[in-house]
Amino acid sequence: MPDDLQTLRKRKRMSINQLASKSGISIATLIQYEKGAQEIPHADLSRLARALYVDEWDINPRSTPPPPPARKERLAKPSPPPRPKEKEKEKPKKKKIPPTSPPARETQIAHLLNLAAHFDIDRAALEEQIGKSLDELTRKEARHWNGHFMRRMAEEKPRRPIDRKRAYLPEGVDGFELAYLQEQQEAAAPLHFTLFDGQTFEGTVVGFSPYQIIIREPGGDEITLNKLAIAYYRKRGGDE
Amino acid sequence: MSLGDELRYLRAFHGGGNLGEIEEEIGIEPGTLRYMEQRYRLVGEDDEVLAKIAAYYGVAPAELQYHRERYRKALSAYLHQSMEQKTTARFELRTGETVTGRVHWWDLGAFGLEPEDGGSLTVVQRHAVLNWPMGNEE
Repeated sequence: MPDDLQTLRKRKRMSINQLASKSGISIATLIQYEKGAQEIPHADLSRLARALYVDEWDINPRSTPPPPPARKERLAKPSPPPRPKEKEKEKPKKKKIPPTSPPARETQIAHLLNLAAHFDIDRAALEEQIGKSLDELTRKEARHWNGHFMRRMAEEKPRRPIDRKRAYLPEGVDGFELAYLQEQQEAAAPLHFTLFDGQTFEGTVVGFSPYQIIIREPGGDEITLNKLAIAYYRKRGGDE
Repeated sequence: MSLGDELRYLRAFHGGGNLGEIEEEIGIEPGTLRYMEQRYRLVGEDDEVLAKIAAYYGVAPAELQYHRERYRKALSAYLHQSMEQKTTARFELRTGETVTGRVHWWDLGAFGLEPEDGGSLTVVQRHAVLNWPMGNEE
């Protein structure tokens, strides 16, 4: 189901200013859209979709208006303690306490261990080098040590050859099948096609697109097969 | 076969009508059907909406629920796992046949299945797959 604009924007960790500059829509208008006070016209919907890297139908054109703020219940407050006398009131000047860094995130520790592993440093050796347990590491310290190892990595040449695998994200492409068809077309290999309705066809590939395959039957006739009608195909003489 | 593929087939079998008009006729939020047809992830969690669509196309709601569980990403995950682990994959096709083999490659539209007896590679269209071992069925 489509989401409200504000929900999507927050999910993308984008401020309203950023969205305004990316989409070219004024902040005031965006606020109206987010409040549900105004329906998003189609033109703006596509600009917002592009800015948020979502599809248009992911955005609810009319956001759900926020519920009215709940009335604050007046709670009986306990009576404040009696005011101190003037002399007591004088408080010592507050000293500025330097902000303490929160404990390191798990992801920082994991990243640090990964980086250290690159230099064959295990957890125990790493803790010895740092001078404290990784569990006691603050976020700031973790950032420092991650930076340290990353700089070292940048300075050194890769110690082992990188075993690069082909990026395996074929959801957005249909390249494998097209490459296979290309190969079969060049080899003029006869293929045997089985359609959804049980019909079968045989022939060599003379052309193809993401939606159709054109084959030439042994008799010379050319047939266009709609890929949506095909269940499967294989080289003639395969296991059938 | 995913719910999206099934819905596209049903729409095609019912004259390939306009999505907006069908949504209006069914009485569901604009964009719902388009979303269901196009998404790769699990969609159609709302049984009430699914029942309305099923009634419109004249099929049992359970049939659409069956396809809902077999969304495209789930098939991708099975193909990927079979290919990585070099295990034998099994698919029930809409033709009533069952094909098995090792996944040689897969992409958006199809996948190449190598029979274990060394026969020719079979290129199976993803929309032809009705079912595959899911979860602990393997």
